[in-house]
Amino acid sequence: MSMPLTSRFAAAGLACALMAGCAAPSHPDSRDPWEGFNRGVYNFNDTVDHLMIRPVATLYSTVVPDPVQSCVHNIFSNLGDVWGGINLMLQERGLDAFNMWGRFMLNTTMGLGGCLDIASRTGDPKIPSDFGTTLGVWGLHQGPYLVLPLLGPSSVRDGVGITADWFGNPLALNNIHNVGLRNSLYGLTFVDKRASLLGATNTIDQTALDPYSFVRDAYLQRRAAMVRGNKPNTDALPNYNDEDETAPPAAPSPSAAPAAPAK
Amino acid sequence: MLSLFPNLLKRLLCAAALACVAVAAQAQTAKPDPNGPPDQLVLIVANQALTALKAGGSTQESDIARINKVVDQYVLPYIDFEKTTRLAAGRYWRQATPQQRTDLARAFRGTLIRTYSGALTRVDPSTKISLLPKRSNDVQGDDAVVRTTITASTNAQPVEVDYRLGKGPQGWQIYDLNVEAVWLIQNYRNQFAQQIEQSGIDGLIKALNARNSGN
Repeated sequence: MSMPLTSRFAAAGLACALMAGCAAPSHPDSRDPWEGFNRGVYNFNDTVDHLMIRPVATLYSTVVPDPVQSCVHNIFSNLGDVWGGINLMLQERGLDAFNMWGRFMLNTTMGLGGCLDIASRTGDPKIPSDFGTTLGVWGLHQGPYLVLPLLGPSSVRDGVGITADWFGNPLALNNIHNVGLRNSLYGLTFVDKRASLLGATNTIDQTALDPYSFVRDAYLQRRAAMVRGNKPNTDALPNYNDEDETAPPAAPSPSAAPAAPAK
Repeated sequence: MLSLFPNLLKRLLCAAALACVAVAAQAQTAKPDPNGPPDQLVLIVANQALTALKAGGSTQESDIARINKVVDQYVLPYIDFEKTTRLAAGRYWRQATPQQRTDLARAFRGTLIRTYSGALTRVDPSTKISLLPKRSNDVQGDDAVVRTTITASTNAQPVEVDYRLGKGPQGWQIYDLNVEAVWLIQNYRNQFAQQIEQSGIDGLIKALNARNSGN
């Protein structure tokens, strides 16, 4: 999309946030000091998503045959592997970087322009990476969590990263000079991305108590894991401090169990 | 180029189908053993569920009743819902009465079933699960992590799913899972705390039950 459109949406998001009144959060999280504003943008995104984006993505995933969908998805993903590899190199993950470039070469040739992800099948799965992750590896903290209009969950650091991805990626769509083609491809990437997230967002709708904090916590967990990379690190497993290990187990009283078993 | 494509696809589909038959044969002979190695337990349980699902054809969003049945029969016996709930509640678990603990675990169970089932709405004949290479620190005493990848369909990119298991009187049981580096319990801790601070533990139980009956 063109810049004026983005900024118009940004302005709309801001207006929404102001209308929502920046209510004080009930359970403040130190990683999310701008929660009131973020919730406003989140609600705006959610509304636009339900009204326009999700219906289009659902139509796409219903009408377009699965092999075509995965082909489109893999082609875009394949184009991203070169920039992903450059970032892995910047993160001093040389072996992973060469794996990504190897993937790109194999999938572009044998995989018919990236349509078939041959590399994943031969045991060389994609290692997603971007400049936000690189900044994280270089020691930059996330900074405050930030929900971007239309783009969704991010942070101050990752927002900078997105800008660098935009200009740095040698195979980004903005290198295409034919405006019509470029804009059609933008549309297709957007729909493809949204369609690939349909399963996740449906699950969140059905299971989250508070979708906003579900998405935020998932985003921050995932980004932390991407920065951590594949270092052999035992701390990578969450330590939940199981306080009940020593306490006597809760004795369920069989006589008083009125609630129907959840099915 | 174009004439090559269907042939290649056909050959790939054939290979995938053969792999599935092999997996199905293995799943039918092996029985889950909670006292055996945790990675084999996860693999066998998952394969049994996949085989049962595939027997009824590819799954879709609308098949949720059938999926729930399979999850109920093949997966639930190996999940420790009480532990998942206890860890998600964190320090609030201590404040809960025994009755509240039972009710909370039962309410959250409904949410978890829908989470596990939701992951199975896109199973097709080529869906497969494979174990990732073991790491030296995967099993530590009574706690273990099993790393797997799930490939939903022939040309889909594999998704990493890890399971956390604890060993108790009933052998190994799953209590947490991780999809693409997002751990489930960690993702519910804030939501639980938020709801409890707003309306107490009873409020949380009510909110969970409301979501359960809403679907």
